[in-house]
Amino acid sequence: MAIKFTEVSYQYSSPDGSLFDALKNINLDIAKTGEFIALIGETGSGKSTLVQHMNALMKPSSGQVEIYGIKINHSKSKKQKLTPLRQKVGLVFQFPEYQLFEETVMRDIMFGPRNFNISKEEAKQRARKAIIQVGLDESYLERSPFNLSGGEKKRVSIAGILAMEPDILVLDEPTSGLDPKGRDALIDLFTLIHNTYHKTIIIITHDMNIVHQVASRVLVMREGELVFDGTSEALFNNESLNKWNLEEPDLIKMTKQLEQRYSISMRPFPKNIDQLFHHIKDVI
Amino acid sequence: MNNIVIGQYIPGSSFLYKMDPRSKILALILLMVTTFVLTDIIQILVLLSVLLVILKLGGIPIGRIVKGLRPIIVLLFFTFTFQVLFIKTGRIILDETLHYSFYTILLAVGVVLFWMITKRFIKFKISYFLMMIVGILSIFMYYPIGDPFAQGQLVIYTGGLQGAFFIMVRLIIIVTLSTILTLTTKPTDLTLGLEQLLKPLSIIKVSAEEIALIISIALRYIPTLLDEANKIMLAQASRGVDFKEGKLKDKVVQIISLLVPMFIISFKRSDELANAMEARNFVPGNRRTRLHILTWQTIDTITIIITAITIPVAILLRVMLG
Repeated sequence: MAIKFTEVSYQYSSPDGSLFDALKNINLDIAKTGEFIALIGETGSGKSTLVQHMNALMKPSSGQVEIYGIKINHSKSKKQKLTPLRQKVGLVFQFPEYQLFEETVMRDIMFGPRNFNISKEEAKQRARKAIIQVGLDESYLERSPFNLSGGEKKRVSIAGILAMEPDILVLDEPTSGLDPKGRDALIDLFTLIHNTYHKTIIIITHDMNIVHQVASRVLVMREGELVFDGTSEALFNNESLNKWNLEEPDLIKMTKQLEQRYSISMRPFPKNIDQLFHHIKDVI
Repeated sequence: MNNIVIGQYIPGSSFLYKMDPRSKILALILLMVTTFVLTDIIQILVLLSVLLVILKLGGIPIGRIVKGLRPIIVLLFFTFTFQVLFIKTGRIILDETLHYSFYTILLAVGVVLFWMITKRFIKFKISYFLMMIVGILSIFMYYPIGDPFAQGQLVIYTGGLQGAFFIMVRLIIIVTLSTILTLTTKPTDLTLGLEQLLKPLSIIKVSAEEIALIISIALRYIPTLLDEANKIMLAQASRGVDFKEGKLKDKVVQIISLLVPMFIISFKRSDELANAMEARNFVPGNRRTRLHILTWQTIDTITIIITAITIPVAILLRVMLG
């Protein structure tokens, strides 16, 4: 196991001194390779707090997180070197504005690798590779990161993490604020990385269509608790879906309507339009 | 990062809370003047005890005042030391020779090292620091081991002690006064009061309203910006920045990686705020009605009269005694 949560809880102390449980007793295993995990839940359910535990940005109030064999718990006295973990587990934050700061895109992408003692030449190589990976061309490398559009900034911030060549890629709402085309391009990119390098990818998202299309495993957070951990098929067949304030993806909604109107069965639910066509063809 | 509290206001209902912020600000200024006019130690102690009575009646916990004093403890310590060492009036109460020899200095260094190592485990840091100072001094004074290569004289006069005590009480009074104001007045009321008090400045083309607006926006955005800074630090830590460690050269890059996004986000935020204000038709200097209107009550008039009287009384006392 690459990341293992054992009874992890995390409490925030609010200014008036009261404690607020952001995570309650989380148990979770994440494999080194091959997983495509979607983390979903309402705003304030603890998703971001959970992913920040995955690369040791936060330490649990109680319980233990084990990342690549390094145990992280509440004890303060131990001086652990945590930065190497952040190379293994790359975390992309929701807003690119929080990390872009260099004069050129090239230097900004190189910043991560350089922090992990990668040579200048190698870092440049990686920057060139990463910018292509995120679907921009090399001409962007010489531009200022502040003159880019929102979607481009987002891609550059993802490239900045990709260039660190992490084993596991964690993305906090990578598709928020993007137009449908940009969103699809990013999802294609994640699928590509997942398929080519078999890297485990974890994305936080509110878009059920993405969950349905790409996720092999879904985690549902609700009020700090992990209420569901399973395949997306199991999730969308789960009766608690409404209770968790989650919607069905468009494709499943449509399939259900078809099933109802023509009293036919189209199980398993189609994952994409092609599969839906196949189902319809079979029926006809 | 989370323990910084901006605006120390604690809710309450005593007379201090019911007063108009304008009268509170004025009373603060008047009492500060009185504090500076007074030169006699008895008089200033009387003022301090009156202040303690006000605190008691106003229902303000002393603990909060002590907390307010904490930032100036270093200042208090330095003024005290300088006063004690450099005022040479009155009787001599301490006259000791300090022996600087190889061994005593070695011992003193040992004490400092011991203090530096153990201080993190001790809860009462300031008392522990003072104990360390006393310890070093007593080594130099009472343990003249070895050949002293230099000798110093530590002489303390009654005048020095009195002066040091006086200045400390004066500083404590001033800080307590302003702490009372900030504890019992909401930041918004405070800026509103300030705005009204600065209104006469419009004669010399200073817009009190704009100053008040700038202050209240700044106060409002301090917690927000701290929050942003925290997020930026986490985002950069994800890219391998270790804000706790690093050589000087790394430190510079770390700080730049924090400051640049910070600047950009602040400019973006202020731009958005300006747009939001304009969208609601905010025009600087226009006549506006207020949601909260300050009301001047009898208690405010009484407060101003009493505090204003203290100044001539203090001057009179000074002239009569001086």
